[in-house]
Amino acid sequence: MIKIKFAHACSFAGVASVMLASVSLSGSALAQNAPTGTNNTLAPRGPVDPGVRGGAAGAGGPLPGLSAPELAFFNAAKGIFTEVETVPNGLGPRFNLDSCSGCHAQPATGGTSPVTNPEVAVATAQGAKNVLPSFITANGPVREVRFVRNPDGTPDGGVHDLFVITGRSDAPGCNIQQPNFEAELARNNVIFRIPTPTFGLGLVESVSDSGLQAALAANAQQKQSLGVSGRFNHSGNDGTITRFGWKAQNKSLLVFSGEAYNVEMGVTNDNFPNERETNPSCQYNETPESTTPLTPPTKSSGSPAADYAQDIVLFTGFMRLLAPPTPASSATAATSSNATVASATANIASVLPSAAGSSLSGAPVTPAAWTGSTARGQQVFANIGCQACHVPSLTTAKSAVAALNKVTFQPLSDFALHDMGIGLADGISQGNANGREFRTAPLWGVGQRIFFLHDGRTKDLGVAIQQHASQGSEANQVIQNYNLLSIDDKQALVNYLRSL
Amino acid sequence: MRHLLAAMRRLLHLGVAICLVGWLAWRYGSVISLFGAVTPAIPNPEDGKVANGIYSNDYFGLSYPLPKGWAEGLAGPEPSHFGYYALRTLIPHEERDANILIAAQDMFFAEKPLSSAVEAAGDFRRAMYEIEGMTIDREPLELRIADHTVERVDFSGVGLYRSMFVTEARCHLVSFNLTTRDPERLASLTLSVNGLSFANGKGAPSSASACVKNYAVPENLLRKVEPAITGSNFVPIPVRITIGIDGNVKHIHVIRATAEQRKSIEHALAQWQFRPYETQGRAVEIETGIVFQQKQMGM
Repeated sequence: MIKIKFAHACSFAGVASVMLASVSLSGSALAQNAPTGTNNTLAPRGPVDPGVRGGAAGAGGPLPGLSAPELAFFNAAKGIFTEVETVPNGLGPRFNLDSCSGCHAQPATGGTSPVTNPEVAVATAQGAKNVLPSFITANGPVREVRFVRNPDGTPDGGVHDLFVITGRSDAPGCNIQQPNFEAELARNNVIFRIPTPTFGLGLVESVSDSGLQAALAANAQQKQSLGVSGRFNHSGNDGTITRFGWKAQNKSLLVFSGEAYNVEMGVTNDNFPNERETNPSCQYNETPESTTPLTPPTKSSGSPAADYAQDIVLFTGFMRLLAPPTPASSATAATSSNATVASATANIASVLPSAAGSSLSGAPVTPAAWTGSTARGQQVFANIGCQACHVPSLTTAKSAVAALNKVTFQPLSDFALHDMGIGLADGISQGNANGREFRTAPLWGVGQRIFFLHDGRTKDLGVAIQQHASQGSEANQVIQNYNLLSIDDKQALVNYLRSL
Repeated sequence: MRHLLAAMRRLLHLGVAICLVGWLAWRYGSVISLFGAVTPAIPNPEDGKVANGIYSNDYFGLSYPLPKGWAEGLAGPEPSHFGYYALRTLIPHEERDANILIAAQDMFFAEKPLSSAVEAAGDFRRAMYEIEGMTIDREPLELRIADHTVERVDFSGVGLYRSMFVTEARCHLVSFNLTTRDPERLASLTLSVNGLSFANGKGAPSSASACVKNYAVPENLLRKVEPAITGSNFVPIPVRITIGIDGNVKHIHVIRATAEQRKSIEHALAQWQFRPYETQGRAVEIETGIVFQQKQMGM
């Protein structure tokens, strides 16, 4: 006998419930879509964030143990990663910045949003007349913008670039306009994303799906006691776990490179060969604008493979071979039967000008001392349940690159999606991730980051911690545990995070 | 004409009556069969509530009187794609010196299935023991609460004192997770768990069906209609169903899905027909689980 909910069948009750549901959904949507500017919500007794850890950058060099051809490829690729694009070589018609390294800069090339926002300068570079939106400031985070809805109310979710090439000396005749960001802000239709650091991503890419699944399934009862569940985003092409981007929406570093090259800089490439802006007055180049060179450049880079590689392959190579960030403690560095990422510190010293002093001595780069407080903070991190999602350790599968082969490393992430509640929700769906879900942000290197959370809403780690709790968040129990800590232990936790 | 008016009057009365029943159904959450018999709504695990200082959950048949001065905290996430429920968080009204999380894991759908409360307590104890700075203050201990078996583990670290109680109910692991700032507070709080009661002492209301894993397999299915699942590729959609003694699907609980998927699955499952589950030669009503998953790729 089929039973049905009669409430859904009766008009009065049905209409009433639909109306109530509509009101409820509207409220929820409004909460999710609220603009996410600086949020100063503080815990009742918060710790003091000591700020970006001083000393040399604990990142930016190649993985330890690279072969000579791999190292040559890495160095050539880094050169392309830092290259500034112009319209003749593909920039625009719409763009957010003109180089990879402009956004991925802190604390070293490959990282995240730097202390001075390069979007301010690029707005008017080469005679462009772009108006800076109110949410882009010189000392604020690098931001990309997504609109939540289209004008007709249907979901949008796409990136709307900040700038146009109109007015630039290398773009004669182009006359397209920037989106009206202030109007969209007034409609609560704007959300932000800041750049994700790319250090150590070759290791992340090399973990097998089964390795990630095992980490998510591990310590099941502990996670249940904390309200934590999680799931993975998947590629619609082959069904495997996707792992890059704020919502783990990108399958591979190559996809990430190709997408960012076209979306952030407007450079079409073999992965994304078509212009997003098709106004005919702004088309200057054949597409794809960046493609595989069939003849080597006149001047060799030192890597024959790099000389024949297109830009997105070089970006991929650079990120894949980047060493993970080095924490203040050598005790937590990665280990491997074949390679030891801990020794990356020596390589970092060899490639980073700021670490030159260390390289001369051959000593590891340890930008800040490991203190009793940070050691206590590491215990706090594990005890209150942070590591249920910020998984301390993963191991790569077999890899053709020896430096990535069966390496155990410490990303402090499970790379799974978790419901972060209405407080962090951005209303954007990507792949299987819904508007409230985000990938666990890897915390390695967090000690040298300036801006936190997907939209860069705060520079204060204490605030970032508190922002994990809101209606519907999987982190609520962990944050309740955090709130029970003594002020000294909260401080120890923040100190530990700043040591990473 | 008089007959027509009388007929219209009867129709009007019938309409009013139907809407009144409808309002009552909407207000009190009842279900009705196509033949018109109103029966109480079949509860789902997430339907528990706090009222008059008691957390009650009709699905599990449990009630838990909150410690004095406690109330609901922030709501947790939706049920997960692996059948996990953050049922309720509880916090003190005034000094925020403790908290309680009530959670449940459907044993049909867990990513890493735990076969019993004993195994869950052991898994939990191991995980806690491996955390640096954590102390196991009380090894897993079997208790009887309200004539019901409950496993308890106490542990502490970084100034927090905690207890985890876990029990089995309707093929779920239901846990009470207590966290405080000091051991005395924990000792008094754990006493509140003694107030836990079960409808029939077996972790389920007397009306509950037996739970049988993996019953929805081809050899037990007499009729099957495939749902048209769209969106959320590769995401598992866990569903619990109740199969009546006649083999029909009596109740469908799509644990986590989009609205579109939920509708499609409910529509399809309502048409499934099973071989009735028998025990000791007698057909009995059961609950079982099914996972739907869209896996579209390639060309």
